[in-house]
Amino acid sequence: MSEEKQQVSRRQFLNYTLTGVGGFMAAGLLISPIRMAIDPVLKPSSAGEYANVGLAVEDITTEPQRVDWKIDQVDGWYESKVSKSAWVFKDDNDEIMALSPTCTHLGCVVSWEGNDDHPNQFYCPCHDGRYYKDGTNIEGTPPTRPLDLYDHKVENGMLYLGKANVRGEA
Amino acid sequence: MLQKIYDWIDERIDITPIWRDIADHEVPEHVNPAHHFSAFVYCFGGLTFFVVVIQILSGMFLTMYYVPDIENAWKSVYYLQTEVAHGQIVRGMHHWGASVVVVMLLLHTLRVFFQGSYKKPRELNWMVGVLLFFVMLGLGFTGYLLPWDNKAYFATQVGLEIAEQVPFIGDQLKTLLAGDSEIVGAQTLTRFFAIHVFFLPGALFALMAVHFILIRRQGISGPL
Amino acid sequence: MHKGKGMKFVGDSRVTAERTSQIPKDYSEYPGRTEAFWPNFLLKEWLAGSVFLVGFLCLTLAHPSPLEGIADPTNAAYIPLPDWYFLFLYELLKYEFASGPYVIMGILVLPGLAFGALLLAPFLDNGPGRRPHQRPIAVIMMLLGLISVSWLTYASAAHVDWETRAEENKPIPPSSVEIDTEHEGYAFYEENCMSCHGGELEGGGAAPGLIGIDYSAEEIADIARNGINTMPADQFTGSDEDLEKLVDFIITTNEQAE
Repeated sequence: MSEEKQQVSRRQFLNYTLTGVGGFMAAGLLISPIRMAIDPVLKPSSAGEYANVGLAVEDITTEPQRVDWKIDQVDGWYESKVSKSAWVFKDDNDEIMALSPTCTHLGCVVSWEGNDDHPNQFYCPCHDGRYYKDGTNIEGTPPTRPLDLYDHKVENGMLYLGKANVRGEA
Repeated sequence: MLQKIYDWIDERIDITPIWRDIADHEVPEHVNPAHHFSAFVYCFGGLTFFVVVIQILSGMFLTMYYVPDIENAWKSVYYLQTEVAHGQIVRGMHHWGASVVVVMLLLHTLRVFFQGSYKKPRELNWMVGVLLFFVMLGLGFTGYLLPWDNKAYFATQVGLEIAEQVPFIGDQLKTLLAGDSEIVGAQTLTRFFAIHVFFLPGALFALMAVHFILIRRQGISGPL
Repeated sequence: MHKGKGMKFVGDSRVTAERTSQIPKDYSEYPGRTEAFWPNFLLKEWLAGSVFLVGFLCLTLAHPSPLEGIADPTNAAYIPLPDWYFLFLYELLKYEFASGPYVIMGILVLPGLAFGALLLAPFLDNGPGRRPHQRPIAVIMMLLGLISVSWLTYASAAHVDWETRAEENKPIPPSSVEIDTEHEGYAFYEENCMSCHGGELEGGGAAPGLIGIDYSAEEIADIARNGINTMPADQFTGSDEDLEKLVDFIITTNEQAE
């Protein structure tokens, strides 16, 4: 040992080295597990993908018609087919609207003019819930919010629908 | 014979002081319900630990039948509850234990709070205790999903929607918990299983060890 | 070093009496009847534990742990309810100041303040006095917190009809039914019932499954005509012969499922 004043004592140096080696071991052990755990966050979301519902745009009229299609839902290793349906029509501005048929009251299935007493409305048979053509719930019937509205796009003359969006209270 | 084995071990690793530390300390009068009946409030901490032991044991045995998979989780719980002898009881112990442990934890916390036992020098142990409370609530939340019945599924859905509303990191937080950005499904169940069975119990054991070592080191707080 | 008995400690701790910094008061200030932890005191603790265990086991025997039907993500009619110790948080989010645009208040600010204060209680309430009347602010805050949590839990649970809930969500043993689409009643089922009760009689939405129902043919026919519980009347409006075929379809499907 020299008599010179040392900047870093031998003991300090060993402590730093120990910390460094410990950090290296912790990092080596944890990098892969942590990357694995956060993988779902970094994966691009598959939601919002559009599916061809098998309906040509020129066939869409101002009269709502029901379309049914199936999407492949992939949940990791678990794949399932999920059935979806929508009521599709053109509104007064010639815009395409695709409404979810799920009643916002208790989840029954509504149908267009499902009751002869209420023309030009969507009707839910479970509790007489009714909606106007644009999906807005009719005040005084059980539903509390409008029917959900699907995202849509048109490609090669075919209608593609995405996910159903909740709309605010009427 | 036993004495000889004990002596043999003690000669080598000197275990006597370890157990004598625990066995020989004097328990003061003010925590002893035999002398003052009101001292039963000091039992809540011990009873919390007792229920935790019940939870650990019943949980270990439940995993002999349980499968964390969305197609089979519910079926395995249904099977162990209806077909396996005493399965109903073991699941009952785990289910009710989860509620009872929260009650005991609350009573223990209130005892410590209203007696002011968290004051100097026991601040650190109080904080460890509050962290234990959080871990326990986390165990409750993750365990609730595992039977994969409607109640479990929709409660978890709500919980995850709440997580999603956290500003800035909400979406990531939800995905991190659920394992998928949209679906509460197969990956959510395995994640919650891992958290419930490995991650949180690990944290629980570590915190409990600190909690108990600090109690031994500082002793129980004096009478008011 | 000095080991085992004979060492002097402060109180019942392992802090040696020779060290004097930061140590709690010795119990000798409160003269009393101390007793050894092992076996005297532990025996009493275990007796209390035994009584507790008996009570606990009685609870588990008297109330089998509940299990509802297998999770069905398409069941939009299900009203979710968390476990009871989260009910207060769930209820909090129903208030206007804690939901909608102020949801941050409900999910972060209020719970954060409450639990943060709990975690840091020893530093917020750092006076020397331990008796409740010597620290009124801390005690009042805790009482207010307790009252609001109890109230929120009560408000959340009070309007729940637990019995109906349990009844409606009974677990149905896994069964695989094959739907005989050739059956002459199937067309009527498809037309009148399927939108609510599902393609495989599994139920969905607000409607229960039709497998394992405990009704006679007449009763089923009556329900189809006149409704039951939340099911409205006149779901089936065809002729009586058609109704008979429909009922036969439901019953044969049920028989085959058993």
